[in-house]
Amino acid sequence: MAYPHGELLRSPSVWQPVSAEEAWRLKREIGTGASFVAGGTLLRTQWEAGLAPYPAHMIDLTGVAELSGCGPVDEEDGGWRIGAITTLAQCRSHAGLFAAYPLIMEAARTIAAPAVRNLATIGGNALSRTGDMATALLALDSELLWQNDAGTVLEPLSDWLDRERAGLSGAPGLLIAILLPAACRMPITPNARRRCAFHKVGRREAFIPPVVNVALNVELDGDGAVADIRISAGGGTMIPARLAAAEALVRGRLPDAALLEELHAVVMGEYAPMPDPLVGEDYRRMTAANLAAAALWQASGAGGRGPGEGEKPCC
Amino acid sequence: MIEKTYLSAGRSAPLRIRVNGRETELDVPPSKRLLHVLRDDLGLTGTKRSCEIGRCGACMVLVDGEPVNSCLAMAYQCQSKSVTTIEGLSEDGMTLVQQCFLDEGGYQCGYCTPGMIVSVTALLANDPSPADTDIQEALSGNLCRCTGYGGILRAVKKAIELKREQTG
Repeated sequence: MAYPHGELLRSPSVWQPVSAEEAWRLKREIGTGASFVAGGTLLRTQWEAGLAPYPAHMIDLTGVAELSGCGPVDEEDGGWRIGAITTLAQCRSHAGLFAAYPLIMEAARTIAAPAVRNLATIGGNALSRTGDMATALLALDSELLWQNDAGTVLEPLSDWLDRERAGLSGAPGLLIAILLPAACRMPITPNARRRCAFHKVGRREAFIPPVVNVALNVELDGDGAVADIRISAGGGTMIPARLAAAEALVRGRLPDAALLEELHAVVMGEYAPMPDPLVGEDYRRMTAANLAAAALWQASGAGGRGPGEGEKPCC
Repeated sequence: MIEKTYLSAGRSAPLRIRVNGRETELDVPPSKRLLHVLRDDLGLTGTKRSCEIGRCGACMVLVDGEPVNSCLAMAYQCQSKSVTTIEGLSEDGMTLVQQCFLDEGGYQCGYCTPGMIVSVTALLANDPSPADTDIQEALSGNLCRCTGYGGILRAVKKAIELKREQTG
């Protein structure tokens, strides 16, 4: 029997460590011929496209205990820990995670398709940098827990993305988990004034990488003014970034029509997409501005869709 | 000391999986795609090969009851798991979902149909009354290049209706 891609001839060894420390040590010992593999869905597209070499050694992460699990860090802290190999399907359907951090579910439902999400992991998507998860996690002030030679190291996702943007590429270790702070968690009370929204525009309606994506996480004060806000945006080959000028503009102000117009103008100037031969820069700036203004309008309640209302459960 | 679970091709540990209810042991490379294990080693050609990068859904199977693109899943990822192919769904005769695809013309050339049937079967097993948006999401990874989505959606809705009548 002939194998179309010579799979039999170039079949790699598969290593199955049970701890993060062991997995990291394997990678160090085997070297560049080794690749960490969890779901392997994005890697498969890279192997087939010749963007990444087909590895001689695969280090299977699915048996590494520390990389799984999704839940509150502890009762007092209020923050959550999502293991790096938590599948996107689990992110899409986890009721507790949805109640605490609905942005994760909103992003997960726009990534790939259900069957791919049964294999693909949140860690893999976040580390791809240009998927949708990094944008959502940025708006939640997430931190990354790495395993490397120093042991375990915690750093803000934004710091790692800044280094990537500066061209200092490469993950500083094996991603163990993503930590979400209590400050960004949805309040348990039904009259919650923290709202979120995730919007994405792609070249098709579904199962497509983002041309532009925007995540917004806002807390309104008793008068409906913006007390606290995080807005992030990405798309194309751009590494997602917080929109600091846009955040500064709306903080402390009522999200009325005049402010939405100002926000639109600021995002048009601040959003910085990478060159794309198929999609013009002006179009993407306009799209990001439209999405950000729509997200704030919707999250502020003006759009009539708070949590539990309308078609989308969160936004 | 590092111990290899699998060695390279020709010396790999056997793959043990349950396929359509039958325990199966195969001597295949650990990274071999489940798609090729099913088609080439087991002769289950109802699972179709097409894009081979998880985009089209023609190779959809159930792994432990959940839909998975068998072109993406590698043999070692299926170790000790239960796989159901289109052949396995209809071992006791045509299923309600298949009958509805026939009745509503939910196919043209038919190449995407096994994958569609598997995805719809998984959807209705998890949620017998999905909303239109749920149906669209569940089928977002199944492409029909004949563009026959109208018939497919009619078939899904009929299956939902008939299932509801059956269960009272």
